[in-house]
Amino acid sequence: MAQAVQKLVAKVPTLIGAAVTYSKPRLATFWYYARVELVPPSPAEIPKAIEGATNIIKGLQSGRLGQTTVKDALRNGLVATEVLMWFYIGECIGKGGIIGYDV
Amino acid sequence: MAPPVAVSPLIKTARYSALIAGIIYGKRRYDTLKPIAAEERRIEEEEKKIREEQERIAKQLAEASEDTILK
Repeated sequence: MAQAVQKLVAKVPTLIGAAVTYSKPRLATFWYYARVELVPPSPAEIPKAIEGATNIIKGLQSGRLGQTTVKDALRNGLVATEVLMWFYIGECIGKGGIIGYDV
Repeated sequence: MAPPVAVSPLIKTARYSALIAGIIYGKRRYDTLKPIAAEERRIEEEEKKIREEQERIAKQLAEASEDTILK
C-alpha cells in the first residue's frame, strides 16, 4: 500500500509535465482567439452598441426584420442563446455553486 | 488557423452586461433564499422534536397496554 502510494507520488511530476506539454499549444490557440473575441467592450464601443440596438428596434418597427432569411434567423438565434447563457454563468458565479443554491 | 472574428460591439456589451446581471441576480437570490432556508430548518427541528416526543409517548402507551405473556 505504502509502496503504491510512493510510486504514484513519484509519477506526479511526470504527469504534471505531460499535462503542461499537452495544454500549452491549446492554451495558446485559446488565448489567440480570446484576446480578440472575448475581451469586454472598451468604453468607446458602448455607443456603437447602443446604436446597434436602436438599429434593431428600427428594423423591427419598419418590418425589415421580416425579410431575414431562415439561415440568418437561425444564426441570430444561436448568438442570442449564447448571450443568454452568459447570464446563467453569471448566476452560477453569484450564487457560489453550479447546481442549485447552497442555502 | 482562421483569423479571429471581430465581434460586434453590441454582442460584446450584451454578453458582459448579461454576465454582470447574472452575478447580481445570483447573489441577490442567494441572499433572499438563505434566511428562508434557515427558518425552514429551524421549524423542521422543532417539529421533529415534537414528533419524536409524541412517538415516544405513543410507544410507551403501546408497550404498557399490550397484553402478551411472551415478554
